[in-house]
Amino acid sequence: MAGVAEAAVVDRTTTLQTLLNTPAGKRMITCIQCGTCAGTCPYGDYMEFSPRLVINMLRRGFIDEVIKSDSLLRCVACYACTAKCPRNIRLTDVLLPLVKEQVLMNNTQMPAEFQKSLENMHRYGNPMGESPRKRTAWTATAGVKVPLIAEVKREVDVLWFVECYTSFYARGQDNSRATAKLFAALGVDFAILGNDEKCAGECGQMTWESGLFESLAEYNMKLFGKYKFRRIVTGDAHAFNAFRFRYPMYGLTQPVEHTTQFFARHLEQLKPKLKKPLNMVVTYHDPCCLGRAVGCYEDPRALLQAIPGVKLVEMVHNRVNAVCCGGGGGGMWLDTYYKQKGMDRLSERRVKEAIATGADVLAVACPYEVSRFEDALKVVPHDKPMVVRDVVELLAESIG
Amino acid sequence: MSDSTNKTPDGNWTPRIVAFFCNWCTYTAADLAGVSRMKYASNIRVIRLMCSGRVDPQFVVDAFAKGADGVLIGGCHPNDCHYVEGNYKCLRRYQMLKRMIADMGIEPDRLRLEWISAAEGEKVRRVVNEMVETVKQLGPLGIPAKFEQWDKEMNALAEHVAASQGAGAPGSSGQNKPQTAQTAHV
Amino acid sequence: MNIMETRKNEPVRIGFYVCHCGVNIAHMVDVEAVAKYVATLPNVVVSRNYKYMCSDPGQEMIQKDIREQRLNRVVVAACSPLLHEHTFRGATEAGGLNPFYFQMVNIREHNSWVHTDRLEATRKAMALARAAIQRVPHHKPLEVKKVPINPDVLIVGGGIAGIHAAITMANAGKKVYLVEKEPSIGGHMAMFDKTFPTLDCAMCVLSPKMATVGSHPNITLWTYSEVVKVDGYVGNFKVTVRRKPRYIIEDLCTGCQECVANCVYKEPKFPDAFNLGLGKRKPVYMPFAQAIPSIAIIDPEVCLNFKRGKNPDGSYTVSDKCKKLCVVACGDRKAIDFSQKAEDKEITVGTIIMATGFKTFDPRRTPYYGYGVYPNVYTALELERVINASGPTEGHLVMRNGKEPKRVAIVHCVGSRDENTNRWCSRVCCLYSLKLAHLILEHTDAEVYNFYIDMRTPGKSMEEFYNRVAEEGMHLVRGRVADVYPDPNDTASGRLIVQAEDTLTNRILKIPVDMVVLSVGLEPRPEAEDLRRLFNLSCSSEGWFLERHPKLAPVSTFTDGIFLAGCCQGPKDIPDSVAQAGAAAAEAFSLIDKGYVEQEPNTAFVLAEECSGCKSCIPLCPYTAISFNEETKKAFINEALCKGCGTCVAACPSGSIVQNLFEDQEIFSEIDGVLAPLPQ
Ligand SMILES: Cc1cc2nc3c(=O)[nH]c(=O)nc-3n(C[C@H](O)[C@H](O)[C@H](O)COP(=O)(O)OP(=O)(O)OC[C@H]3O[C@@H](n4cnc5c(N)ncnc54)[C@H](O)[C@@H]3O)c2cc1C
Ligand code: SF4
Ligand code: SF4
Ligand code: FES
Repeated sequence: MAGVAEAAVVDRTTTLQTLLNTPAGKRMITCIQCGTCAGTCPYGDYMEFSPRLVINMLRRGFIDEVIKSDSLLRCVACYACTAKCPRNIRLTDVLLPLVKEQVLMNNTQMPAEFQKSLENMHRYGNPMGESPRKRTAWTATAGVKVPLIAEVKREVDVLWFVECYTSFYARGQDNSRATAKLFAALGVDFAILGNDEKCAGECGQMTWESGLFESLAEYNMKLFGKYKFRRIVTGDAHAFNAFRFRYPMYGLTQPVEHTTQFFARHLEQLKPKLKKPLNMVVTYHDPCCLGRAVGCYEDPRALLQAIPGVKLVEMVHNRVNAVCCGGGGGGMWLDTYYKQKGMDRLSERRVKEAIATGADVLAVACPYEVSRFEDALKVVPHDKPMVVRDVVELLAESIG
Repeated sequence: MSDSTNKTPDGNWTPRIVAFFCNWCTYTAADLAGVSRMKYASNIRVIRLMCSGRVDPQFVVDAFAKGADGVLIGGCHPNDCHYVEGNYKCLRRYQMLKRMIADMGIEPDRLRLEWISAAEGEKVRRVVNEMVETVKQLGPLGIPAKFEQWDKEMNALAEHVAASQGAGAPGSSGQNKPQTAQTAHV
Repeated sequence: MNIMETRKNEPVRIGFYVCHCGVNIAHMVDVEAVAKYVATLPNVVVSRNYKYMCSDPGQEMIQKDIREQRLNRVVVAACSPLLHEHTFRGATEAGGLNPFYFQMVNIREHNSWVHTDRLEATRKAMALARAAIQRVPHHKPLEVKKVPINPDVLIVGGGIAGIHAAITMANAGKKVYLVEKEPSIGGHMAMFDKTFPTLDCAMCVLSPKMATVGSHPNITLWTYSEVVKVDGYVGNFKVTVRRKPRYIIEDLCTGCQECVANCVYKEPKFPDAFNLGLGKRKPVYMPFAQAIPSIAIIDPEVCLNFKRGKNPDGSYTVSDKCKKLCVVACGDRKAIDFSQKAEDKEITVGTIIMATGFKTFDPRRTPYYGYGVYPNVYTALELERVINASGPTEGHLVMRNGKEPKRVAIVHCVGSRDENTNRWCSRVCCLYSLKLAHLILEHTDAEVYNFYIDMRTPGKSMEEFYNRVAEEGMHLVRGRVADVYPDPNDTASGRLIVQAEDTLTNRILKIPVDMVVLSVGLEPRPEAEDLRRLFNLSCSSEGWFLERHPKLAPVSTFTDGIFLAGCCQGPKDIPDSVAQAGAAAAEAFSLIDKGYVEQEPNTAFVLAEECSGCKSCIPLCPYTAISFNEETKKAFINEALCKGCGTCVAACPSGSIVQNLFEDQEIFSEIDGVLAPLPQ
């Protein structure tokens, strides 16, 4: 995995003051102020300081003015700017989080919902404030055995990092049960961390709530250190993103894969098991942390196309051009705030495109999206019914 | 010749690398690196040949023998040799040389062959820097000093053989000396 | 030139000169220390440092020393031998010595320009100088071989650059072979309506030149042909050209196009390549109205008289299934020949000019501009055809849906200045975008938006052109387009939204337009890599053919006798392509008019008395220059065939092959020299 090399563009101690001296910062000096970043940003219209302007303010030493504005609380860490930037400037995961952290520190009125989630992560290791002891409760209904790494007491091939939404939320648990079933069907040697697992902290990182992220990362790294495993697999695109880019700075050396990548790699073994035809038209939404962040567009599509009876159709904005669900970079807990500011909901923008395709199913590959799109479907009028399903859920359904 | 020559004036050891670059690709690439003002380690001493096919294995052995800590050969990419396939000949000799120097107790990493086209100034910079790093890790080779030691051992052995078997036994005559080339120009 | 022998047993007397190159060398290398050190080495009689060794006084200094100090060897430490070896060999000769008693040390490109520690750089310079000092005593007097040059020239590519070079050479009485891959010459320029900055009609200036090429007695024009093999060297290249079958006998076709009119297909049905698929043609067709040669061509892929599909060898099988009304129409002219086969022609030329041009960027690589997805997204080249009076719409600016656009967005820098696609600026796009904006305004009432990152209009008359066109009234928006998508409020009309930040007002614009034009960049042709191999050229990392020196030898290549013209060397406009074509022709001339090429005397020879007759060298020579004399049982090298690679020399187990200029002893001395102890 490219993680280690990619992470080398900055290190964990980088601040806004030192940024321009890092390899990633040196790239920022080459910014040609073309505005592609601002033009592609889904909330570009609502930013007083567009990503382009932020770069120039930083270069000219005017960054304090940017920090006083709340522009960057409107960044949903969707990687659109980074993916299209003609100078390959690392905006989404390097520059903007550093600015956001300062904005949060200077902003006396942190949106309450957001504040609460960060607090929960701190106290309970998950943003919803659930009891850590209930993290593995879903395994009782998994239908297959889900081994705990503490109990297997040997090296496993796959350490499955389940993550919060997929542990606590009912619809998230569907994803986990499906993954467990697929692992079992493929005979994968896997185990989970169990109740000891805590949020990977990606949203903390994306807002560069560095204190919070740091403590979660250090906690998880310590936990990883106790066990032996060859790779991390996770169905949460955000955790995947944190393991890929930030955790190597804390010493993570094992490769990390998203479940869709893992299953796509085992597609030949999986194919004969995909027996049950689903007979549905599916459109696929590229999660930002999997699509634009690493360029993984085709694996999930290959999985969907391997399911008998699935017809794949594309939305107007797809792959590198996909529209974010609005949940990244803390956006998950800023909906009320965005509404107050008169901003439209990105999940609604996206669902409108999905509806226009005439699909029966909006397939996703990130647990945030399930709840966001299901909510959006409740308010966006549509004639034909549409359901939101994770790619792994559809796969599990097809193996019967 | 003593090894102390590898020292910088402040007394630290620094490797010396002899490079054989073909005129058409790698030498030109090194010129390009210069024109582009790329910066790389100064440990390298380039000897220009028309083609990497001209690299006589003896040149390499001789360079080590005279105190080089590493030898770099640069030629055109496969299919690009100005003389059609000199670089393939070089590749075969290189593979043989790798084994040979290993037998002589020289770490094979001290010898490197790279295809560098005339446009790849950046590759010259990278390869030279990497090579210097590798050789630094390996430390001084110091063959001239070892030669003295080997000569002593060989002489002792020869004397021993001569003494035990009497005259006429196959000894370690001239053949073991590092051969120097005979230029008999007419 | 006669060989100036040094008398036998005369002691070696070396003159050493180290150059400051202004400060280029002297700032990083302590030249005085180098000169002082070299003065202590054996055989060195004079050791000097001087500001510019290549200048006249520098060269005169060498000559004077040769005469007054009775030098018989000269070593200069300066720039790369590839730059000035020739100069100093000349100075050595002018001083009365054989030029090959000279040796050059590269302390600029390989030293002062690439190192940062002055002490280390100086020590390196000393080591390299010492190598040369130890080498030169072994130098022998050698004679430069002169090989007569074939005055014929090959020009590859018949765009404006190739055309101009061909006419220049032919007018001066040289025999020119012009090889063009397509059925007609003309290249990209033939596709344009008007050209910046003058806005003169492209065909009005180009077609007379094309006609000249077609009729010039000194030009052999081979269109629909490709070079498949190149052997030999400057002065004597042996080139094989494959003439692909066009199923029309060129000498018999009069260009009347009656075959086209009478083809069993009553209506044109197949996408027309010249019009980029925007128009249609029949299986037998004329590439375009002003095509040169004015000869029809049959496309066996769709012609009914051929079986469908290529044979593995690339040929097509005649099916004889068609009524062949074309043949009837051609009548007594008998120009149509369905059995025509590819034909290989072998020619010998002394020089070659490469003018193979460029290709435009494929915007499918920037999917967010919707090219290939939304029919109203066009490339600039497509717009050139649509707006062209002889194009598929006869110059009416209408879109694929037959409507005239009311609003057009021109998107600059598509596939240029972008790390994700091509990093370079394509140089002509800003200007041709302005030209296209002007043409749109001329043809329609549409509102035009130009989205640019930076408006680049360098060159004579270009900024004036910008002013003139800008005044015509168009929107110039400084911002790179980020997204093109169908208007969600109007999905039926095909209207598109162009989204970009207007960076000068800090606002996000979402402009509804009917037509989007992508100003695609210029990039190397996909087959440039094959051509590079074929002609033994070098390419820059981007894939453009590499010139020998960006400033001092901009149309020469690293292969003697091959020159570059036009966009195959890098993006440029028509005036620059033509200027370069003229320069390439002049370079070719100066070679031809000299009458001969000098060959570096670096050939190898066998020392017969030492050869053991093992024959190991014989298969190694790529030029079969080595033969075996069965009588004497010795190998023998034919000096005329030897190119001086030295592969056999390195392989001879008995050390009995010697390469001039690179004798074993010379190289061993260099090895010894670079490794010798230096003063602390
Ligand atoms: C949309 C657009 C608009 C432009 N407008 C203008 C303008 O208004 N004014 C201006 O000054 N410049 C303009 N330019 C730039 C102009 O096109 C170039 O400067 C010019 O065409 C370069 O000429 P060339 O002969 O080097 O290359 P080309 O025109 O590309 O010609 C190369 C020729 O070589 C042939 N060829 C390629 N490979 C082989 C092979 N292997 N064997 C044989 N033949 C081969 C090709 O078929 C072609 O005929 C424009 C460019 C574009 C893309
Ligand atoms: S897209 Fe990249 S180069 Fe353009 S303004 Fe934004 S950061 Fe700068
Ligand atoms: S990451 Fe997405 S939301 Fe954030 S600035 Fe970039 S484009 Fe806008
Ligand atoms: S000429 Fe470069 S390797 Fe032969």
